[in-house]
Amino acid sequence: MNPAVGSPAGAEQAVPASVAQAVDGDEGAVAGARSTRQRLLWLRFGVVVAAVALAVVMALIRSGSGVVVTQSIVTGLLIGGVYGLAAMGLTLVFGVLDIINFAHGSFLAFALFVTYWLVSVGGVHPYLALVVVVPVMFGLGVLVQRGVLAKAMSEPLENQLLITLGLAMIVENGLLLLFGPDPRAVALPGDHGVPVLGAVADLSRILAAAGALVLAGLLFLLLQRTKLGTAIRAVATNSTGAQLVGIDTRRIHLLTFGIGTACAGAAGTLVAPLVTIEPTTGAMFNIVAFVVVVLGGMGNVVGALLGGLVIGLTEQVGALLLPGHSPLLAVFIVFVLVLFLRPQGLFGRSA
Amino acid sequence: MRKTLICALVCALSLGLAACGGSAPPGAVGSASRGQLSAGEPIKIGSLHPLSGSAAADGQQMDNGARLAVEAINAAGGIASLGGAKLELLGADTQGKPEIGQSEAQRLISEGAVGLIGTYQSAVTANVAAVAERNKVPLVIDVSNADSILQQGYRYAFRVQPNATVLGTHGARYLNEVSAAAGKPAKTVAIFHEHGPFGVAVRDAFTAEAQRLGIQVGPVISYDPASVPDLTTQMTQVKAADVDVLMVAGYHRDAVLVAQAAQTVQPGVDAVFGVGNGGFDLPQFPADVGAAGNGFLNTNFHADMTNPRTRELAQLYRDRFGEEIRTAAVLAYDAVRVIAKALEEAGSADPTALRDAIAKGEFETLVAAPGPISFLENGENRNAVPILMQVQDGEVKQVHPTSFEEAAPVYPATPAAR
Repeated sequence: MNPAVGSPAGAEQAVPASVAQAVDGDEGAVAGARSTRQRLLWLRFGVVVAAVALAVVMALIRSGSGVVVTQSIVTGLLIGGVYGLAAMGLTLVFGVLDIINFAHGSFLAFALFVTYWLVSVGGVHPYLALVVVVPVMFGLGVLVQRGVLAKAMSEPLENQLLITLGLAMIVENGLLLLFGPDPRAVALPGDHGVPVLGAVADLSRILAAAGALVLAGLLFLLLQRTKLGTAIRAVATNSTGAQLVGIDTRRIHLLTFGIGTACAGAAGTLVAPLVTIEPTTGAMFNIVAFVVVVLGGMGNVVGALLGGLVIGLTEQVGALLLPGHSPLLAVFIVFVLVLFLRPQGLFGRSA
Repeated sequence: MRKTLICALVCALSLGLAACGGSAPPGAVGSASRGQLSAGEPIKIGSLHPLSGSAAADGQQMDNGARLAVEAINAAGGIASLGGAKLELLGADTQGKPEIGQSEAQRLISEGAVGLIGTYQSAVTANVAAVAERNKVPLVIDVSNADSILQQGYRYAFRVQPNATVLGTHGARYLNEVSAAAGKPAKTVAIFHEHGPFGVAVRDAFTAEAQRLGIQVGPVISYDPASVPDLTTQMTQVKAADVDVLMVAGYHRDAVLVAQAAQTVQPGVDAVFGVGNGGFDLPQFPADVGAAGNGFLNTNFHADMTNPRTRELAQLYRDRFGEEIRTAAVLAYDAVRVIAKALEEAGSADPTALRDAIAKGEFETLVAAPGPISFLENGENRNAVPILMQVQDGEVKQVHPTSFEEAAPVYPATPAAR
């Protein structure tokens, strides 16, 4: 089963393949095309793994310490999970609504502050805040889509882009007004270092990465195994077609944006113990999240997780290979290479 | 495909916007009526600080500090030599962006500011200093430590705080003194520094002085303070190098990451030693990182809490704004008082006369320093000298040199495990 929800049609493969994705029950004739695609996907996956292995060996030679390299891989994978987490909602909205949601980072910041508020005022456990944050963010997403974006759906891409950019500024400066500019922190009770193969990792980071896996799994199940998911994928593939078979696309748009924003909420709560909470914290995630989304293939939730891991590893191992530079240097070298060789993303299909 | 391209473009654009900024300052405004005061008209001082953006916390503190200074001076009768003229603070938000700082400086000068204070970020200050010079209006720099700002031969720019070279040099000296006095002299030091001009200048000055004192420096690891997500790998590099001390030159967000990484990795150093670190001596640092920050040292210019007048100001600030005053706000307070006293001595609100009075004068300071503020030919404050602070039992204490000591330094101060 292909995890992607985005990209109108698989031009790379035979046309029936795209029909097979749009509607869940697919049979016989398309099986051949599908196994070719599966093979290609595995091949690509293999190339990525080989590239990572090469980078690791070079880092080992360069730093001369096994522990340092192990640490960089462990940290890279855990941070990669966080990046994937931050990018998941973004990629979903991208794939289904065709909106580049610039406000995603500030939604994440909003969730950070709600979490902070619940923990500091309400005294709840940071992870328990999910129970409040996720529904609140879902509601916020639905409101934003209904109130602001729905009217702009038929307008050019630039309009939507400017709207979300404006939203980002409103949220960011609203937080500044409400909470002030002081950096804040949320501590996870009982957080401690966990030894991993000679390296160490904070429990909070391991849990955040695990949360990313769980969220990716849930989204995957939602998209592939439920009626709603089928409808969402149908709208992503062909909005007019979906409308013709009786799917209320406006409602799907509302729900998808809500789910995307709820993902930002879940990400915000899970990363709250790891970051310094400021109104501008979300902006930090924005750039990386965009890179992850493009790398993973737009609209591809599992791709976002894998893209996140690739970026996390690139950043950490790259810092060993290219000391003295911004971690974003290695990230963008990889990004440009991927865009050049596979413009549709590592795990996306051609548009 | 089209989406991919647009998205890539968007990424590039947002990066580009963050990276660029800073064109040549525009020409001077007309100065027909410079410093002419009609009766009852207040004297305007321009205050340029980042009130929004990532440095808003410090920027708002500094704006508050400047306002408190103006209030205190007006309450004490204004500028006596100018018939008791009152001061008025014209506030502006630089947003931390050089081009905004430049246009706002221009605006404040056209609105009649006779002197400017600011700005926090060195890149912004560099542009504002150019505008001030062009318009012949004095700029008193409260916070910004890049050496290069005052290496342009400007006559109208003065700096209250020490530059990066002074910070780095004193950092190495203090480390040498404190560790030797404790009987565990530091022989090898690893460096973490933010990769901007500040971190690089501090690193170079620290390394030069450390080597002169026979301290070995390395590994030296730099990072991007705006985007670094974690410093565990870097901390493991320090652990693998088996050094005596870890020196850190950075800001608040990364200072928190350093504390967390030190607690998790346990690098086995005698001390984590900040130099000009923007995080380790902030009042909320111990609260943000808890026990992880205990024992952290920092060499920095710092409000002198052994001075009763500073404590008075700190109390006033607490009552008014409900939070602890930071050194940056005290520096802004000092900068306004420099301009006020110079106005008093010049007996004129003409910016050029004001500039001459600032260059000649001596000004009282609430910051820990060996003497009053007084400016060298190049505009640097000859008495701008940092002191050493340490986090002890959840509070930032002044520990060295002895004349500013609130508590004795604790050394070695190995980062605590959880």
